[in-house]
Amino acid sequence: MPFEAAPSPVIPSAASRLWTAGASAGVSIGVLLVLAVAQPGLAPWLLGAAVVVGVATWMINRGSASRIHGGAGVASTAQTIDAADPRLLDSAFEALADPVLVVSGGEADDIAGRRVVLANAAARDLFRIQREGALLVSAVREPTVLEAVDEALFGNVARTTDYSGVGAQTRHWRALTRPLPTPEGDGTLALLVLRDETDVRRMELMRVDFLANASHELKTPLASLTGFIETLKGHARDDPKARDRFLDIMAVQADRMSRLVSDLLSLSRIELNEHIPPAGRVDLSRAAIDVVDAVSVLSAERGVAIRFDTRDLSAPVHGDRDEIVQVVQNLVDNAIKYSAAGDTVDICIKPDVPLEEASAPWSGGAREGGMTRLPLVTPDREPGLRYAAVTVRDHGPGMARENLPRLTERFYRVEGQKSGERSGTGLGLAIVKHIVNRHRGGLTVESAPGQGSVFTAYFPVAQARAAQAEL
Amino acid sequence: MNQHTVKAYGDELNQLTAEVARMGGLAEAQVADAVESVARRDVALARAVIERDARLDGMHRDIEKKAIRLIALRQPVASDLRRTLAAMKLAVDLERTGDLAKNISKRALILAEGEPMQPLTRSIERMGKLVSMRLRDVLDAYAVGEVDRAIAVWNTDDEVDEHYNALFRELLTYMMGDPRTITACTHLLFMAKNLERIGDHATNIAETIHYEITGLEFTGERPRWNPDPDLDTPAA
Repeated sequence: MPFEAAPSPVIPSAASRLWTAGASAGVSIGVLLVLAVAQPGLAPWLLGAAVVVGVATWMINRGSASRIHGGAGVASTAQTIDAADPRLLDSAFEALADPVLVVSGGEADDIAGRRVVLANAAARDLFRIQREGALLVSAVREPTVLEAVDEALFGNVARTTDYSGVGAQTRHWRALTRPLPTPEGDGTLALLVLRDETDVRRMELMRVDFLANASHELKTPLASLTGFIETLKGHARDDPKARDRFLDIMAVQADRMSRLVSDLLSLSRIELNEHIPPAGRVDLSRAAIDVVDAVSVLSAERGVAIRFDTRDLSAPVHGDRDEIVQVVQNLVDNAIKYSAAGDTVDICIKPDVPLEEASAPWSGGAREGGMTRLPLVTPDREPGLRYAAVTVRDHGPGMARENLPRLTERFYRVEGQKSGERSGTGLGLAIVKHIVNRHRGGLTVESAPGQGSVFTAYFPVAQARAAQAEL
Repeated sequence: MNQHTVKAYGDELNQLTAEVARMGGLAEAQVADAVESVARRDVALARAVIERDARLDGMHRDIEKKAIRLIALRQPVASDLRRTLAAMKLAVDLERTGDLAKNISKRALILAEGEPMQPLTRSIERMGKLVSMRLRDVLDAYAVGEVDRAIAVWNTDDEVDEHYNALFRELLTYMMGDPRTITACTHLLFMAKNLERIGDHATNIAETIHYEITGLEFTGERPRWNPDPDLDTPAA
């Protein structure tokens, strides 16, 4: 627009109403009429022009009016989509990521009256209930939550409660309860929303654990490093032989520290993700073959033979490739570590077995020679789910049964056992445990002093559910 | 669910089941909290567990009364009778479970006065988690009426026993190594025993559920997993 403000006080500003079609037409018709009176000879022409201007103005105004009306029409259709369309609300409710339940009250003293009126998909998944009609206690038994629901129903109080669910993977929930007004006022309703707080809690725990472990475990190698440095600065300064030896030891210690830190980091990472099952697909036996190839140098060095007869079986499982490889790697590493020269390490794959068999020992049911079997990780039972198992057996010194439950504890070491020169970080089995748990699998150990030990890790077979559905 | 001509009768049965489920939830929470009070040396939590036990006892009495009333007034037969009796039996098991949890908390109070014994309390924690999971599994089975789930719990009872035995030996080693720990270790030993018995109650509950749903007594040996005859395995 050329002039925002009018250049002269007489001419109205651009936005002025005087510039609208109606005003300018009125002015020009007026001028034409005045001219017609002044010049009677031209009157018919001037009157004709005035009529033309009038008609044109009317047409323009009508056009813009219909435009305004059209705009209003669009706005009103948008409003009908926004407005409470039951289907839209319903699908939004269904798609909510947090489990949401609407609970009806019934009588205050009748627990069977608390029923789930409505549950969204997330809630149905979590509690394995129907969309409506289930008893509340068959979904949630946590007493604090039940109390909070009662308070919302009969006390009209909104509350927030924290609780943890028991399971192979502990989950922390925050339950929000809100009283719901009912349209008829004939019954009481309450809203129960659950929010998964597992991530937050795990973060906290991880920080605490990491600090505690790292500071405790790094203390020893650090102390020895400082000791050697002091010696090197002091009387060993001019002794090249001692210096070389010390530097070697220092290198070993530094190496141990860095392994420790990287193991701790990977443990923390796995722990953080533990409640999120992995998405990929891995062939367990391929992973085992890779591991066997990778450790062949080490095993040859130590004179340990690896026997892997079932390498041709294919055993697809749900899993993260790197993590599955790490499980097999850690188990095989341990087996080699605790084997004497000339011993054999056996690896065996069972591609498709039910839970009972997967958690059963190597020998297929019979406990030979008084070996003790102990599950270290047990998955939550799911009917019909089948597992693929990898078993690693060594013929080393074995362990007494009282040591078995603590094997997956961080930095736990069986007393009086040496793991050879390449001492581990004490985190290997802890990592295995957490990976297996994340994969919804299991881990079993079998051992007895003097008889070696057998570790079995098992994972859910990929597409087991699809096969189940076809049957 | 079969329909009853008298609607109130069906309602009463449902109410009984719901009450047992709620009592189960409380028992579960008691066990979990008791174990946590040991692991975290949480005196307040231990006191809360001891206090809440009275509520569990009250629920037990309530369920018993309702069941007796139902039997007297409605004279249930067949599956209704089994349901009523199962509710009574479960209430007894759950009440015992609560007592054992309370006992664990009492001992936690004593342990909290002494030095922390982390490796040992961690073993208790692990065993507690295992037992809690079993308890949750049977109660889930009860809530949805799944026999298979209950039987699966029943089948794996030796897991708990194995943990108990391992813990027993561990504690013995400790006590022999340092006689000053004997008091604390004895308390831990009783805690482990209590947990083991809670595990047994879970097994009992599994048997009751089996009876309630199928009408058959759960008999026989714990079915050992049988090796596949096709595989060449040593004789079991």
